Amino acid sequence: MIACVLLPRFQLTVALEGRAELLQAPTALAPEPGGTQQIGEVSLSAEAFGVHPGMRLGEALARCPRLTLVAPDPAGVADSWERLLVRLESIGAGVEPERPGLVCFDVRGLLRLHRGLEGVLAAARRSLRTPARYGVAPSRFAAVAAATRARVRRPVIVSGERKQAGEFLAPLPVALLRARPALADLPEALERLGIATLGELAALAPAALADRFGTAGLHAHELASGGDGALRPRPASEFLREALELPEAASGIQLERALGLLIDRLLARRERRGRTLRAVVLSAVLVEQGGTWREQVVFREALADPVRMRLALAPRLALMPAPAQQLRLAVERFGPHASDQRSLLDDPVAARRARLREAIRQTRAAAGPDAALRVLEVDPDSRFPERRAVLTPFEG
Amino acid sequence: MSGPRRLSVPRRVAVDAGDEGRPLMVDGRAVDSVRESWLVEDRWWTDRPLRRRYWEVVTTCGRDEIVFHDLEKGRWWRQR
Repeated sequence: MIACVLLPRFQLTVALEGRAELLQAPTALAPEPGGTQQIGEVSLSAEAFGVHPGMRLGEALARCPRLTLVAPDPAGVADSWERLLVRLESIGAGVEPERPGLVCFDVRGLLRLHRGLEGVLAAARRSLRTPARYGVAPSRFAAVAAATRARVRRPVIVSGERKQAGEFLAPLPVALLRARPALADLPEALERLGIATLGELAALAPAALADRFGTAGLHAHELASGGDGALRPRPASEFLREALELPEAASGIQLERALGLLIDRLLARRERRGRTLRAVVLSAVLVEQGGTWREQVVFREALADPVRMRLALAPRLALMPAPAQQLRLAVERFGPHASDQRSLLDDPVAARRARLREAIRQTRAAAGPDAALRVLEVDPDSRFPERRAVLTPFEG
Repeated sequence: MSGPRRLSVPRRVAVDAGDEGRPLMVDGRAVDSVRESWLVEDRWWTDRPLRRRYWEVVTTCGRDEIVFHDLEKGRWWRQR
């Protein structure tokens, strides 16, 4: 049995923090800067005008000229979402987040721990501490569909097997397929062909769907029939992040230097325990309430070398749509421990560096983390001397 | 280290200034000559603009000092 937790309009709610009254008006998340001109999540009143997420901006404004666009806050959404996932994991759930605001977990392993399904849902409700909709069904897709039909205090539970899941899904609209990014375009085409419900879709021959829509058609048929792939819970993660306030809006070379500083600080953190970094998230708070910017970077191989990390991350800064007032670097996934492989012939430069590293380690152990610092030029050409350089941890 | 520590941070200094803002005494030492003076303005588009009149002076005891007058708050600072 799969449980689904749905927080409707999660991204919009986070982006509107402090301006909740806008949720009552026709509001939508503006397209991501530099991305396709499609709007994000929309408020209930915007939906009443026929505006839906993923719609082209021009079409959305044509349907609802009073539509208020809100700058997206991807970094804030990621932070809030991570906090909620960790809370859910604290009850023992192995969670698979589909997108911010929608997460599934297998309840079978928790039934005895929390004394039945009701106990599991009550524990999830207590841990999240925020109103959410809960759906439980034999398959992930059916659980998501059940959650969309649920009320905050009344979860929808579909018991049984695949057949019962198919029966539950049968009267529901094909628009639910939009929950899967790979099938986002399919509902519109199906509706044009007169297929309005998932039951009608399941009644079609798989071969006919494959002929018309390819693998997407087969996938949609499988989902509509009450089937779905197995749940793939995310591995438990640690949260390690460094942030740097940039008092003056920074871009270009200043931002690169700030990035170098963040990398040094992240690698100097004790919690890293000598491990390499496999994936990181670079994010920024943009100036003039321009929202936030977020970029996930997966390294080609796990790294602990600041120079190579800088080479991989610096080009991403050019994607930032506006100057930043805060830059953050967080570890998303650690790699294996960095190993010191010795070469056949001792390299004197490498040996000297290793001695230096060891000396710094011992100095820090004896005199604290501030014992070995270096001067990093942040903005060497600034007219204000205090902006030109900072002291940062020395990396040997 | 909790965060990066800036270098060359301005420190308060006692300055007696004459007409036109020219420093006459810096930390109780008389100013012998003014080597250079320049004006720096920045962040005028924000709520916290920066406006500084810098003076590079030599005191009678031979010290070369760079001081500035914060034109927003009216205080004097020494900077290296």
